[in-house]
Amino acid sequence: MKSREQEYREIFMAEALEYYNAMSRHISELERNPTDEPSLNELFRLMHNLKSNSRAMGYNSIGELAHHMETIFGLIRSKEKTFTGSVVPVLFTGIDTIGEMIRAVGANEDMPTVERLLDNLDRLVRGEEPILEEEEDDTDEDANRKLELSDLVYIQIKKLDHLMNLVGELIIDRDRVLTLSQEIGNPALLMAATHLSRIADELQYSVMDARLVGVGSLFSKFPRVVRDVATAEKKDVELTMVGEDIQIDRNILQIITDSLLHLVRNAIGHGLETPQERVAAGKPAQGHLTLSAQTERDDVLIQVQDDGRGIDVESVRRKAVERGLVAANVAATLDADAVRAFLFEPGFSMAKEVTEISGRGVGLDVVKLAIDSLGGQLRVESVLGQGTTFTLVLPTSIAVKGALLFQLDQRNYAIPLMHTDSVVSLQPENFNVVGGVLLTRLQDENVPVVSLRRLLHNGDGPLPPAVKAEVEGRQDIIIVKYNNRRLGLIVDRFLRQQDIVVKPMSKPLDTIDLFGGVTLLGSGQVCLVLDVPALTRLFLAKRP
Amino acid sequence: MPDSEKSVKQDPIIQLIVFRLGEEEYGIRIEQVKEVTITPEIARMPKTPPFVKGIANLRGDIIAVIDLEERFRLRSAGQEMPAVSYTMAIEAKEYTIGIMVREVPQPLSIQQSIIEKAPEFIQDINIHDKYIEGIAKIEDRIIVVLDMLKLLTPSEIMQLQPKTESSGSGSRTTA
Repeated sequence: MKSREQEYREIFMAEALEYYNAMSRHISELERNPTDEPSLNELFRLMHNLKSNSRAMGYNSIGELAHHMETIFGLIRSKEKTFTGSVVPVLFTGIDTIGEMIRAVGANEDMPTVERLLDNLDRLVRGEEPILEEEEDDTDEDANRKLELSDLVYIQIKKLDHLMNLVGELIIDRDRVLTLSQEIGNPALLMAATHLSRIADELQYSVMDARLVGVGSLFSKFPRVVRDVATAEKKDVELTMVGEDIQIDRNILQIITDSLLHLVRNAIGHGLETPQERVAAGKPAQGHLTLSAQTERDDVLIQVQDDGRGIDVESVRRKAVERGLVAANVAATLDADAVRAFLFEPGFSMAKEVTEISGRGVGLDVVKLAIDSLGGQLRVESVLGQGTTFTLVLPTSIAVKGALLFQLDQRNYAIPLMHTDSVVSLQPENFNVVGGVLLTRLQDENVPVVSLRRLLHNGDGPLPPAVKAEVEGRQDIIIVKYNNRRLGLIVDRFLRQQDIVVKPMSKPLDTIDLFGGVTLLGSGQVCLVLDVPALTRLFLAKRP
Repeated sequence: MPDSEKSVKQDPIIQLIVFRLGEEEYGIRIEQVKEVTITPEIARMPKTPPFVKGIANLRGDIIAVIDLEERFRLRSAGQEMPAVSYTMAIEAKEYTIGIMVREVPQPLSIQQSIIEKAPEFIQDINIHDKYIEGIAKIEDRIIVVLDMLKLLTPSEIMQLQPKTESSGSGSRTTA
């Protein structure tokens, strides 16, 4: 894994080499046509960019040379000088030297000395003649060196997306070929299929790897954000960043950018107290904010942690009842985690007075939806008076997900493992009916259970009340978990656990949010992938 | 067919793909048809209007398949789709969609001038005239030429039936 510095250097190198190549092209053009304005403008611009980039990276000698060159090209552009006579060899040498210096950066070598060149450039600016020396032995080397291509390729993310989709389909076909070859049982075919499978695997990981970027590329934007928000809010905040080297799919990082910005702003604006309040509470005047990334199995955890005032569970509980999100008697029985989950409810966050009391809640539902769309999870932990931690659990890659396959009405469906809590088979005596809802007791918690068939195929009205007599024989139930709520889904039969490649639902059916997409099974069958957040919401909206 | 130069210039020949729905013949311009294939296995999709038969895997593309006989209520009783039916993959604006038909659709070349604007009475037969580009009369056949792009907009497919606005999030706010 690369360090950030190395990554930046590679990017600098790629850009600088590109500039160098363009400069060589334009100066050749200029030699043919010494008053060609487009070339002059380009050269001026390229020198300027190279100067800024080099100085930003600390390559001051390149910056210095580029600065001198820029000056001369500026003079030629404003017609104070002409690209003729002794100016020509000096500028050619200048661009060659820039090339050498860039290569020296790439090879980690010492920079060539440029004093004489700079001196000559200064002379040109002053209108004096440069001191030219014949360097005959240099020409061979020059001709060899110029043909050099960058080690880095810029690629549009769209192209990588396309590759990823193709690989996804290849994986599906791979599974199919494997299944078929096992059925046919021909040893040669089986061997070829196994080999194909291994190569397809490797290809998949290579493409996934090509899409990975360091979390640092997003984190690095935050010191400035934190400074600005802290200044505006009159807070004193120290930002710590951990795990910038953790790799994640570039598109995932893109999708969570706004969410992270939101959480950080919230943490400074509402979570952290002013220095006076902090001192009064016996805390250090400076607030701490930590942005961290770590891997946990196949997931990436990104945390936004503050040591501010924390979330007041009781005021959230009160507000949830006032907002009609939960009945008062039910609210009283909920534990702190369940209460904090209300913060992610759409109705909740709109209330401005809540944010001032609880210190949280501006648009958290938006954050939640963004994370849901990735098949991830958003968690919050908080200790009153000590701080709050938001955790984003994200998949490393969008395309491949672990899923549980099951059958309903002879059709195959998949549920992402990310939202699967457990799988149980229960007898009728394990159920109770309370208020028309089927309940079962799991690990000291009452979990509502619903027939998935009924949930999916029920019309627009509320679900009919559950009747215990309807539950006959053993029931296969998948317990899904979303936003701290567990829900049992009765299915016909469990099939297996499998990695699936989720394809987005094709238009115009993509308006049905119950399905996160489709996948193709090894048999070529189409399998719908259920979206647990939408299912949970549907159940809550339609429960009897 | 008269093939004089004059008529070619002023009256271009267009190609239709002709298929049967119920007892009538319908046509689509050939440019809109991507391919015709035996209907692949279809996975029923909950929460869609009944005429949306589900989704199918067409060479790796997942497409929705619809039944226009059901959509326009053209099916006579006891005339279920045969076990082997055909699906035309149609290119709509942003997506491909499958249309299920009972017989192999046939190509047919006609002169554009044959297509007449739909007369008023057509509104009586369930197909709203806005989907109809015109009527082509060829000898004793009458072919209704459909404007697929209008017929296959997302709102036509998903919202014509009042039943569709059903999945949780749509009406969540009142809960």
